[in-house]
Amino acid sequence: MMDLLRSFSWQELRQHPWRYAAALSSIALGVALAFSVHLINASALAEFSSALQSVQGQPDASVRGVSGSGSGHFDEAVFETIAAHEAVELAFPVLELSTYALNSNNKKIAVRIVGLDALSAAQMAPALIPRPKETAARFALFAPRQAFLNAAAMQALGDAELRIVNGSRIETLQAAGSISAPGAPLIVMDLGAMQDAFNAQGQLSRIDLRMRAGASPSSITLPSHLLLAQPDDAGERTDQLSRAYRVNMTVLSLVALFTGAFLVYSVLTLAVAKRAQQFALLGVLGLTSRQRLQLVLVEASLLGALGAALGIALGAGLATWGLRALGGDLGGGYFSGATPPLQWSTFAAIAYGTLGWLASVAGAWWPARAAQSLPLAQTLKGLGHVHSQQRKPWIALLLIAFSALFSWAPPLFGMPIAAYFAVGLLLVGGMGLLPWGVSLLYDRLSPLVATKALPMLAVERARRMREVAVVAVSGVVAALSLGVALTVMVSSFRVSVSTWLDTMLPAPLYTRLTSSTQMADGLYFSPDRVQAIAMLPGVQRVEGIRLRNLNLGSTLPDVQLIARPIKLQNAAKTLPLVGEIFQPPAAGAIPVFVSEAMLQLHQAVPGQIYDQKWLVAGIKSTQSATESIANQTPPVFYVAGVWRDYVRQFGSIVMDHAQYVQLSRDERINDLAIWPQANANTLAIQSQVRQLFSEDTALANLVEFASSAEIRSISLKMFDRSFAVTYWLQAVAIAIGLFGIATSFSAQVLSRRKEFGLLAHLGLTRSQILRVVALEGAAWTAIGAIAGCMLGLLVSLVLIHVVNPQSFRWTMDMSIPWLRLLYLAAAVMLAGTITAWLAGRAAASRDAVLAVKEDW
Amino acid sequence: MLRRAALLSPALLAWREALALPTKALSFPREHGSHPAFRTEWWYLTGYADVGTRDQPRLLGFQITFFRSRIDAAQSLKSRFAAQQILFAHAALTDVSAQKHWHDQRIARAGFGIATAAEQTTDLKLRDWTLQRNAGGAYTSRITAKDFQFDLQFIPKQPLLLQGERGLSRKGPEAKQASYYYSQPQLTAKGRITHAGQQSAVKAGIAWLDHEWSEEILHPEAVGWDWIGMNLFDGSSLTAFQLRRMDCSALWAGGSFRNAISATSATTIFQPTEVSFKAGEIWVSPSSAGRYPIQWQVTTLRGTFTIRSLMNSQELDSRSSTGTVYWEGLADLLDTQGRLVGRGYLEMTGYAGRLQI
Repeated sequence: MMDLLRSFSWQELRQHPWRYAAALSSIALGVALAFSVHLINASALAEFSSALQSVQGQPDASVRGVSGSGSGHFDEAVFETIAAHEAVELAFPVLELSTYALNSNNKKIAVRIVGLDALSAAQMAPALIPRPKETAARFALFAPRQAFLNAAAMQALGDAELRIVNGSRIETLQAAGSISAPGAPLIVMDLGAMQDAFNAQGQLSRIDLRMRAGASPSSITLPSHLLLAQPDDAGERTDQLSRAYRVNMTVLSLVALFTGAFLVYSVLTLAVAKRAQQFALLGVLGLTSRQRLQLVLVEASLLGALGAALGIALGAGLATWGLRALGGDLGGGYFSGATPPLQWSTFAAIAYGTLGWLASVAGAWWPARAAQSLPLAQTLKGLGHVHSQQRKPWIALLLIAFSALFSWAPPLFGMPIAAYFAVGLLLVGGMGLLPWGVSLLYDRLSPLVATKALPMLAVERARRMREVAVVAVSGVVAALSLGVALTVMVSSFRVSVSTWLDTMLPAPLYTRLTSSTQMADGLYFSPDRVQAIAMLPGVQRVEGIRLRNLNLGSTLPDVQLIARPIKLQNAAKTLPLVGEIFQPPAAGAIPVFVSEAMLQLHQAVPGQIYDQKWLVAGIKSTQSATESIANQTPPVFYVAGVWRDYVRQFGSIVMDHAQYVQLSRDERINDLAIWPQANANTLAIQSQVRQLFSEDTALANLVEFASSAEIRSISLKMFDRSFAVTYWLQAVAIAIGLFGIATSFSAQVLSRRKEFGLLAHLGLTRSQILRVVALEGAAWTAIGAIAGCMLGLLVSLVLIHVVNPQSFRWTMDMSIPWLRLLYLAAAVMLAGTITAWLAGRAAASRDAVLAVKEDW
Repeated sequence: MLRRAALLSPALLAWREALALPTKALSFPREHGSHPAFRTEWWYLTGYADVGTRDQPRLLGFQITFFRSRIDAAQSLKSRFAAQQILFAHAALTDVSAQKHWHDQRIARAGFGIATAAEQTTDLKLRDWTLQRNAGGAYTSRITAKDFQFDLQFIPKQPLLLQGERGLSRKGPEAKQASYYYSQPQLTAKGRITHAGQQSAVKAGIAWLDHEWSEEILHPEAVGWDWIGMNLFDGSSLTAFQLRRMDCSALWAGGSFRNAISATSATTIFQPTEVSFKAGEIWVSPSSAGRYPIQWQVTTLRGTFTIRSLMNSQELDSRSSTGTVYWEGLADLLDTQGRLVGRGYLEMTGYAGRLQI
């Protein structure tokens, strides 16, 4: 076998290095892209969760308030009971605040401030132990306003006096030392000093618990406004946040691998066909049919292994570059902070390498079978490559039927795995139907061109040699169908987002203090300021929006509550609703509009009462617990409608602001929509709003403004940027597919020298022969383009209606960019025709007359 | 050479200028309780017991200490979590026959039921460690440490011993360097000591309690002290201490001797010149490199004694609570003829870095 590989296979490779290079590069590229996406994400996640871990410590459980992570404070009184509970070994009280610090240039820097029991930090969160400066007195860390900074905070804010935004005030702290915690800017204080500095006496954000050996946290009974959270929740939530995006990126990069498998198939099929006589000769000399099968598979296996190895190396390089250039989330916006170091994983390298190798071997299976079942005598006489049997399309149809079935399947582990499987089956099935499609098309076409010699020759050949045609164009079909699918999906998504933005941004001008919901509880406009802004000259009307996170106490990320003026009657105009608006099912039920994700994740049913403990507790939590009992029966919510939310994948709830204030007595306003009067000077309005917010210019400068046009264009720009990599992948896949066409054409033309010689003898000039070849190329790529577009449209249906709702939990309207698809198909056809012509020119340059004499 | 850490910050010392403490009549049981107005306070329980059999004696030493510190820096805070008072506790077990020593510590700010020091009588709680005095004068302590557990009761046989001038004990050349200080020697210890899953009944242990509170003890020149509290077998008790300078010379000294036979009349309070310590054999701690004299000759008005540690390695690393490394261990008391006349605890501080209080 080794000898055969060295002589027989090596010679073939040496003669056609480009053909193999195409297959090899496609496999390598597929592996490289998939592997680098994996590495980048694993690195980012590892960095993020290790930072999170060191900041959080390792409690067995945490007690939190129900309303939102990091912002929902609760009364410290409960600490005494929890700390005294027999199951608790150590209770670690924490007060947290996410806000801005102002650096020496008055630039705002997002920081987290953690107040903790400095005396127990060693046991619960060693990375947060305050390390006073060398000169500090022993107990100075308990003194007022003493702050301990991590490296990022120290770098951003310096090592002296710190200015921290606390609502509408600026608090000054004294940098008194450091903490070892890595990651984003973080400041630690002793809890007593923190409560005083931020006027938060009596408040805690959470209590971390270390349990006694064998004791379970669930034995602690908590008041209804508190819940028990498992410590790994935050890490898992982070994973959840980016998982769908990551899976989609990975699948996208497997597109190249998929194309690679088809290229291996096409290259090896041609190689087997071309070497059929040699194979037959070897067969006669004693190479068994099984050995022939093995030989082809070993060839593919070596090709695949080399491609995979190259891919892994390339992938690691890409990941290193990507981490530096794009950050840990590939531009997805899920992680913040510094560039994480690359986390190499041998296991992942082997897994992705194996995937590449498998793709290559799978592509070689049919050619190998062909080599195995070669009719020796016929082939030796030169009759072998006449395909004897026409396969029935049943298998292909069956695959497509299965694909349809799989596309109905529910998501697996929250990911559209079945749907991706359906896409794969659809592509393979569609490819299987190609020969049938060729005859369907060209059987109709051939009478039309029967009178014109050259087109007739081209069409007839394409028609009669359809198996060969299919082999040549399979790479293009695979690449094009995926390209079309992605184009249709991205364009549908963009159109939907664009119309969504129109509905979401009715006012010409928006203002807010922070884009972070973590900070929304501390940075807000008070109702009297909103009133004052509404009274400003040049302002016609303002509308306030309150944003809050609602913590569910599960591994799922928070749900966002958006309280804004909305009435049942006008909801359809101000909210991008999907479906109808429902009237209350019971008297007094309060309408809420849920995003599509709520239906899947949080059991919301349109038109029905929405009875969720976390919702009631979350909205009412700003009141004291005793007041709410004395007050009245708990509020009843119902789902008045479903809206499309392209921002918050994990669910959001919209309710009327007036009703929200009535229930929660929380009058804070985070975002403000402003309608200026016609001809009003918006710049003047902006500076007046700033002045109204604070006389202190440093604070006034926190106010951000954006016109709806700006928000729109920034949003769409961000959209385009995050999908830019998709376009790039499409282009690469199609280029590889075309490369496959070029190599197979040059092979075809070479092997058809006799035929061209015959045509020359019949009187065709060389340019006419080349024209036949080019026309054949056109005929083949035409069928490829048509098949690719049709398959692609089908795949895009699966992507839009199954993959997207399942992975991002939002729907979109399908909108097909016909013109763009037409360009794409035309470009592929043109490229295919030119490729065929160029390949033919190179191959047919030898004297055709001689070719006829080349006979037995 | 002894290692010396950075000197105590003058800023902290100046925070509240210590005034000379007045002599006053200590009123009990109130004085058994905590005195949060004072900067530093401690309750020191040390003792020993033979928990072996007649054929095979097994001598155990035990130490239970609660400290309280007023944190001046946090006094202005309004938060209930403000660390205005911090409680520390140390517990140690010495197994003389096995030549082993274990210790553990606790620290927490007072408040929220986690750490409390009652003002009415001795009633100390620091997480799961407690020390309480009942109306009859008996102390109960429950300590669950990493390597051992104490469940002990201490019953007084003799009246309180007021140290210094009616309970005001000078600790330095300036009047403000003083503490209120009383002792309860010759306590009978009963209960259980558990170690390595093995419970040992304590039937007739002998223990000593010190309670001391002060605004400022250490003279700026002082780097640490040496102290002994010895229960003599005849029922007498010997207290002696000296405060050392950097060069190991004595800056101040004091102590007392109470004769067991007639408890009231036979108490001698030593003046600084009436006590002197002479260091003997030195043991170098492998972990802190502190050089501890593990044998002493103490000359007092009531006789000269030799103090000989029963085990070298009784050093406590409490840097994560009190912030110091010190030596506190069981020692024998011998008279001039070399006869064993008593037993108790020897404490040596400031040998591995200056003591900070």
